[in-house]
Amino acid sequence: MPQQRVVLKNCGVIDPRRIETYLERDGFKALAKVRREMTREQVTDEIKASGLRGRGGAGFPTGIKWEGARQAPGEEKYVICNADEGEVGTFKDRYILERDPFTLIEAMAIAGYAIGAKQGYIYLRAEYHHLFDLLQNAINQAKKSGYLDGFRIEIREGAGAYICGEESALMDSIEGKRGESRYRPPFPTTSGLWGKPTIINNVETLMNIPQIILNGAGWFSQMGTERSKGTKVFSISGDVENPGVYELVLGSPLRELVEDLASAKDIKLIQIGGATGRILPYEKIDTPLAFETVLGAGAVTVYNRSRDVIDIVYRTMEFLAEESCGKCTPCRQGTEVMVEILEKFHRGEGREQDIRNLEALSQVMMLTSLCGLGQAAPNAVMDTLQYFKDAYKKRVVV
Amino acid sequence: MENKVNLTLNGRAVSARQGMTILEVARENGIDIPTLCYLEDFSPMGACRLCVVEVEGSRTLVGSCHTPVTEGMVVHTHSPKVLAARKILVELLLASHPDSCLVCDKANICELRRIAADLEVGLPRFHARKHYYPVEDENPHIIRDMSKCILCRRCVIACKSAGNGSMFSVAYRGFESKVVFGCDQLVDEAAVCPDFDGCIALCPSGALRKPVKIGEERAEKALIIKG
Ligand SMILES: Cc1cc2nc3c(=O)[nH]c(=O)nc-3n(C[C@H](O)[C@H](O)[C@H](O)COP(=O)(O)O)c2cc1C
Ligand code: SF4
Ligand code: SF4
Repeated sequence: MPQQRVVLKNCGVIDPRRIETYLERDGFKALAKVRREMTREQVTDEIKASGLRGRGGAGFPTGIKWEGARQAPGEEKYVICNADEGEVGTFKDRYILERDPFTLIEAMAIAGYAIGAKQGYIYLRAEYHHLFDLLQNAINQAKKSGYLDGFRIEIREGAGAYICGEESALMDSIEGKRGESRYRPPFPTTSGLWGKPTIINNVETLMNIPQIILNGAGWFSQMGTERSKGTKVFSISGDVENPGVYELVLGSPLRELVEDLASAKDIKLIQIGGATGRILPYEKIDTPLAFETVLGAGAVTVYNRSRDVIDIVYRTMEFLAEESCGKCTPCRQGTEVMVEILEKFHRGEGREQDIRNLEALSQVMMLTSLCGLGQAAPNAVMDTLQYFKDAYKKRVVV
Repeated sequence: MENKVNLTLNGRAVSARQGMTILEVARENGIDIPTLCYLEDFSPMGACRLCVVEVEGSRTLVGSCHTPVTEGMVVHTHSPKVLAARKILVELLLASHPDSCLVCDKANICELRRIAADLEVGLPRFHARKHYYPVEDENPHIIRDMSKCILCRRCVIACKSAGNGSMFSVAYRGFESKVVFGCDQLVDEAAVCPDFDGCIALCPSGALRKPVKIGEERAEKALIIKG
């Protein structure tokens, strides 16, 4: 399957500083359509029927989320766009924001209409501060042209914490608190920002909305696999000749992205989904990229045969230990214990029992951590213990 | 009449009131689930994770102190999987805990030690850096030794509710997280709170204690530690 431009349709085509160039390409027609001819219920039903799932990592069905917030009682509701893009190796949201801020704004306004929210927030990663003016300019132009009547969009900047990309910590951060994960239920759709019904979606998820409205759920659900509809935007980097952003229909083989498009050679392993993602050995290069298999937020990091497995896992764990919010025991203590064990292997001083301890600890972190960070933190350890156990064994002192 | 919820708890059919958490229902039915961060009269934090239980159909274990019961739920509070997980959680807390139990003031009433004994934790498998913080013993009402803190945050909650502004709060991140006084100052001689005893009584470890003068009678009863 070749590259397919759905999400990236306008990227590089329109001028992100001029709304007219967006209007020439069906801009704000979807918003006009929902306001003119669709009930709120019809909008959430259409999104549900499309099979769209969240592109921020967890893959939750977007339509069900919207329906939940639409049905939740309450006058005050919120729409949040998650533009925190903190996952290691992802840069697709930045690529989109830089080139097509208008589609995002239109999608947020549609979301606002669908759930009955008057206020939206874009939570912008601290490191993307340079995009603030571009986004604000796009919001101002949309407002001036009358597309944001009854719906306000505000940009809130992060402060550089990975955990603040996690939806509950993100909401704490907007509320001005220390960014830490909350337990669920209650889910944001009933009790989110300031305790009000809230939907929170990734940039790329929202980018799909206007076209689903204009072309219909049927058009969208033709693309992809049984449980993964539409396209996915991937950020690929590492040992590749052509790093960058590529959009593929879901279900495309990993090989197409890594070898055909990014021209990687001599591959040892591929990390998919960043620091909390999965690690696949080269032998699995024909795995389809989909929610059924591996996907995450679409970060693909390629390592060639010159790379050391333990080094990769050790650095990954160091990152997660640094970024753990510290609230719950398994993640706060577990990531630190793992860093210290992996550091021993890194020095070539591992012990046989350390391997067993890593396995037992991985299970407990996965099963008991409060949020996705701690639950997914052991992924790199578990996958390399499965596919590259020799790398550990070689570093055991006898 | 209130809405009733029917569930299966360790193989037994029980009914509960809508809105109750798994922990509340378990306790009402005489089942003891260990907790370290939970405080009865405050909203749960879900931080220590010791109260995790198995709920059939759930991908992960769930925190019982914050998860409401639902109709038809099937819960196991002491399955082998749950007990193994709780044991490792305690081992993780002990991994960075100082080895000074023998001479710790709280030793006999330490909740961490009691839970470790109940779960038959034994020598912890895991090791992590210890935190070396200075003992804060300048104040006549409270002694803080943050190297023994297990970050249950009970004192932070108590502090917030004492209505004296928040003297204690959580700062830093991950393994470096710490309950700090003010902007991470030492609790000095001058610091006053109408209710220092509140947080001291709630602290499950040896991190907070009352300065005891030599020869003064101790209020706490001795406790027998198993194992
Ligand atoms: C530690 C952690 C970090 C996350 N970071 C991001 C992020 O940077 N951007 C994002 O869109 N989602 C992130 N997520 C996922 C969000 O919690 C949430 O699932 C997502 O924003 C929902 O939007 P979606 O359904 O459109 O994907 C993160 C999750 C975790 C556990
Ligand atoms: S899993 Fe980690 S990041 Fe998430 S709440 Fe627990 S300590 Fe914080
Ligand atoms: S000082 Fe005591 S009560 Fe406060 S967080 Fe630490 S262990 Fe818990």
